[in-house]
Amino acid sequence: MPRIFIPAPLRQYAGGAKEVDVAGATVGEALGALTARHGDLKKHLYNDEGRLRSFVNVYLNDEDIRYLDKEASAVGESDTLSIVPSIAGGR
Amino acid sequence: MVWIESMLTISKESWEIIVADACAAYPRECCGVLLGELDPADDDLRTATVAIPCRNAHQEGRNDRFFIHPDDQLAAQKRARAEGLEVLGFFHSHPDEHAYFSATDLANSLHWYSNVVVSVRKGELAGAACFRVNEEKTHAETEDLVHPG
Ligand SMILES: [Zn+2]
Repeated sequence: MPRIFIPAPLRQYAGGAKEVDVAGATVGEALGALTARHGDLKKHLYNDEGRLRSFVNVYLNDEDIRYLDKEASAVGESDTLSIVPSIAGGR
Repeated sequence: MVWIESMLTISKESWEIIVADACAAYPRECCGVLLGELDPADDDLRTATVAIPCRNAHQEGRNDRFFIHPDDQLAAQKRARAEGLEVLGFFHSHPDEHAYFSATDLANSLHWYSNVVVSVRKGELAGAACFRVNEEKTHAETEDLVHPG
């Protein structure tokens, strides 16, 4: 099953899990399975229109899904998904 | 007894890397990721043992902005897992400004993480502070920062 790595700030919404194995043939299905299991995660990953929040980067293995097929990107059994929050700023 | 709410201790090696990165980037802002360990009994007591300078991916050519390249952050996450460490937070510099947490910093941060800001004036270290933000990103709280001289 694809494995999703959860960054520390979001683990409190995922029962404390650092990683969650989910079923799914695409990135969207895998993330959907994750938020179905851990409902509190949903609002941290998706906006009110159901789209991934702009500051949430999702990587399929080493590739940002924006440069693949986005949420339709196919995932295999041994693939990993990483959630990488955008961190920025300025004075 | 003194009640410590939240504290980040930075190792000597990590601190030297942060300061060198901040000075090298001057007059631009530097940015990077901090890896380390959480106290087993208290997530708010943290020790950073690895500092990883990252590419500042800010695109508009301004000296007063930073954007940690997400590819570099992904690499830092992987390194943390490989070394049994945790991504504790991030660092960035304020060239010719003091070490405060700006409105822009706040709007583009995330709760839980420790955010180290170092002030660099005329290319030299001039102060440092650490901040944590609330979930709504409306408020930053100072976190005790312990670093070598
Ligand atoms: Zn800043």
